[in-house]
Amino acid sequence: MSGVRTFISHYWGVLGILLLWQAWVSISGLNAIVLPSPLSVVADLVANPAIYAGNAGKTFLVAVLGLAFGLLAGVLLSLAAWTSRLLNGLLTPLGLIFSSIPVVALIPILARLLGYDMRTEIAIVAVAAFFPTFVFVGAGLKSRPPGSDDLFNVLGATPWQRLLRLVMPAAVPNMMVALRLTAPEAVLAAILAELLMGTSGLGFMFREAAGRFAMERAFGTSIIATITAVIVFGLFMAAERRVDALWK
Amino acid sequence: MTETAIHLDRVGKSFALDNGKQLTALSEIDLRIGKGEFVALLGPSGCGKSTVLRLAAALETPSAGRVTIDGKEPQALSRAHRLGVAFQDHALLPWLDIFANVALPFQVAGRKVDDARVKELIGLVGLAGFEKARPRQLSGGMRQRASIARALALQPDVLLLDEPFGALDAVTRRHMNLELQRIWSAQRITTLLVTHSVDEALFLADRVIVMSGRPGRIIRDISIPFERPRHPSVMRDKRFHELVDELTLALEPEGAAP
Amino acid sequence: MTLQSEAVHRLVLGAVGVGLFLAIWQVIGTYRLAGMTWPPLTDVLAFIADPSKQGLFVRAMLASFASVALGYVVGILSGVAAAMLGQVLPIMRPGLDRLVAVIHAVPLVALAPVFMVLANRDLTPPAISALGVFYMIYVATTSGLKAASHTHRDLFTALGSSPTSRFLRLELPAALPALVSGMKLAIPVAFIGTIVGEWFGASRGLGLLMVSAMQNFQIPLLWSAVLIVTTASLALFGLMSLFERLVYGRFQ
Ligand SMILES: Nc1ncnc2c1ncn2[C@@H]1O[C@H](COP(=O)(O)OP(=O)(O)O)[C@@H](O)[C@H]1O
Ligand SMILES: [Mg+2]
Repeated sequence: MSGVRTFISHYWGVLGILLLWQAWVSISGLNAIVLPSPLSVVADLVANPAIYAGNAGKTFLVAVLGLAFGLLAGVLLSLAAWTSRLLNGLLTPLGLIFSSIPVVALIPILARLLGYDMRTEIAIVAVAAFFPTFVFVGAGLKSRPPGSDDLFNVLGATPWQRLLRLVMPAAVPNMMVALRLTAPEAVLAAILAELLMGTSGLGFMFREAAGRFAMERAFGTSIIATITAVIVFGLFMAAERRVDALWK
Repeated sequence: MTETAIHLDRVGKSFALDNGKQLTALSEIDLRIGKGEFVALLGPSGCGKSTVLRLAAALETPSAGRVTIDGKEPQALSRAHRLGVAFQDHALLPWLDIFANVALPFQVAGRKVDDARVKELIGLVGLAGFEKARPRQLSGGMRQRASIARALALQPDVLLLDEPFGALDAVTRRHMNLELQRIWSAQRITTLLVTHSVDEALFLADRVIVMSGRPGRIIRDISIPFERPRHPSVMRDKRFHELVDELTLALEPEGAAP
Repeated sequence: MTLQSEAVHRLVLGAVGVGLFLAIWQVIGTYRLAGMTWPPLTDVLAFIADPSKQGLFVRAMLASFASVALGYVVGILSGVAAAMLGQVLPIMRPGLDRLVAVIHAVPLVALAPVFMVLANRDLTPPAISALGVFYMIYVATTSGLKAASHTHRDLFTALGSSPTSRFLRLELPAALPALVSGMKLAIPVAFIGTIVGEWFGASRGLGLLMVSAMQNFQIPLLWSAVLIVTTASLALFGLMSLFERLVYGRFQ
């Protein structure tokens, strides 16, 4: 009994949405050609595991590779900004501006600039991940443990030693936060890039399914896209936890 | 007296404040600390004790006068990795375990880490068995001891301690004082200890310097007569109580007038 | 250096940085360093200012901005309402939190098919905006409602205030700064929602304009549409930042 109680207290919202959905369908009398039944969506998933898995895998790859490149670029540029007050003053406001624009709007421009191919999709994800990483890691490079700067002075550390042993390690937790925060955006950017220009991946499946009104396929893709996003997010959340346990 | 190790020669220090004004933290400080001497610096908070210590550590530059250590610029000492410092903030790096934190001075000096020496130091400050622990897993007192072990790692010529026990409770603090005396007696490193505890200064130091604030000046310079090694029972000595009274009076605002 | 001159220094350097960025954009475009698909900034601005294009842009902007505004307002109202519901009826909290987590887990674009069949195509953009904004606002408001300190809460209880008056006089004002921060961060989210919704097949709007310009190699049109969207989002973001400062100054 208490199990049911707990379930309802935790999931009444989700259940409510499903009921509302059902009610809407019943009242407005949408027909099954437009609105697929859950069963037919599941049937499509079960009948075509290879299509779904292959495209989801490709989207996952684009998202993770893009995140990796965006991270690398963000870290390198924030390090450059750290070494020079001038660069820091020039770049930090730009980074803040770019990390607060709707970055998906840049996708069509990047697609046109770089051409339609998978490398462009990765570049698009990298750009989406780059700006928040730059801002976060930049802040991390400045948040060193209290007294540690004095300590490195007293120890007679060279600038290089200070960078490697103090400044960069101090920025690692912020870097993990940046990764976790940009992970959902990265999946979204990957899917959108595929939607606009791809020939494979979940975004492509959306475009293809919506184009021929194959709503079972569209809904199935939504489910798989959500699972992919949850996996990517969960992966980076777990990574952040692991790193925090070692780092803080 | 033996030869001078740390010398503050008519040193003044002022800070530029955010509102554009100048704050004179120290004026006309004359202080000589002999080789192997343990000097405690006592004074009300804000009187400039830390500033004196930071000048000796080359973390600040004097606005007037000159600071030398063994006749040279104080930077020379840290560049040669011959300076040990422990701050009130333990400044342990959270991503390193205790062993790696204590070994850090070796790495920064570009030397091979002397595992035996690091182990020995960790034992010396009573942290044996905690080599693999992270700073956050230790109590405040244990972190302070680790930072003292780190300060001693390279057998420094000069040890600067800025209220290293300031955040500890009275019992732990007394315990730490005993350990510090034991460590110091074994090595006789030139030591400058900043504290605001009269007992601590008297128990540990060869000489106690009392400062007054605004601007910081030296108002007393007292040699402490007790034999070493000192047993905690020295604190019940009549002479000890007289000195406590004398110093406490000197620390009172009205007593600060020369 | 004093605080003030430091701030001026930062401001000047930041402005120089933005100026350099625009200059580099112009140079790359003028000398075709990035190929034919990167126009000079002046070309893009001239294209936007061209009277013959005005009708096109105004129609697209009206559609998109209306969708952004609708999604933003609906998202804020529903987000605040849901957070307040969770505060007033704590029994609802776990379920609300799960629901919001589920909504957040779904990539915005994956919602598009749902809205396409449930609503009509032109309601998809504001609906996606609203959901994105709802998430931001719910999270910001719930954390803001926790901001009132325990001491203050105890004080109100000791003074014998009713839960309602405590909510109105203590928790709500204490939550305001977090809410305003959430409203600021929700601005780009509202724009993203509308653009994504339009890409999925709206009949008009700047998002649609971008895609068709991309597909038809209408380079100045493509860049113009993107510039308009990002500038509008940035301007509103900047306004909200100012408002945020005001609120933080007053309530914290
Ligand atoms: N970096 C600084 N900038 C401005 N004022 C400072 C700075 N460091 C210390 N001061 C001021 O100098 C005075 C002495 O400080 P300090 O040496 O830390 O005192 P103590 O260690 O005796 O408490 C204080 O008034 C303090 O506010
Ligand atoms: Mg001090």
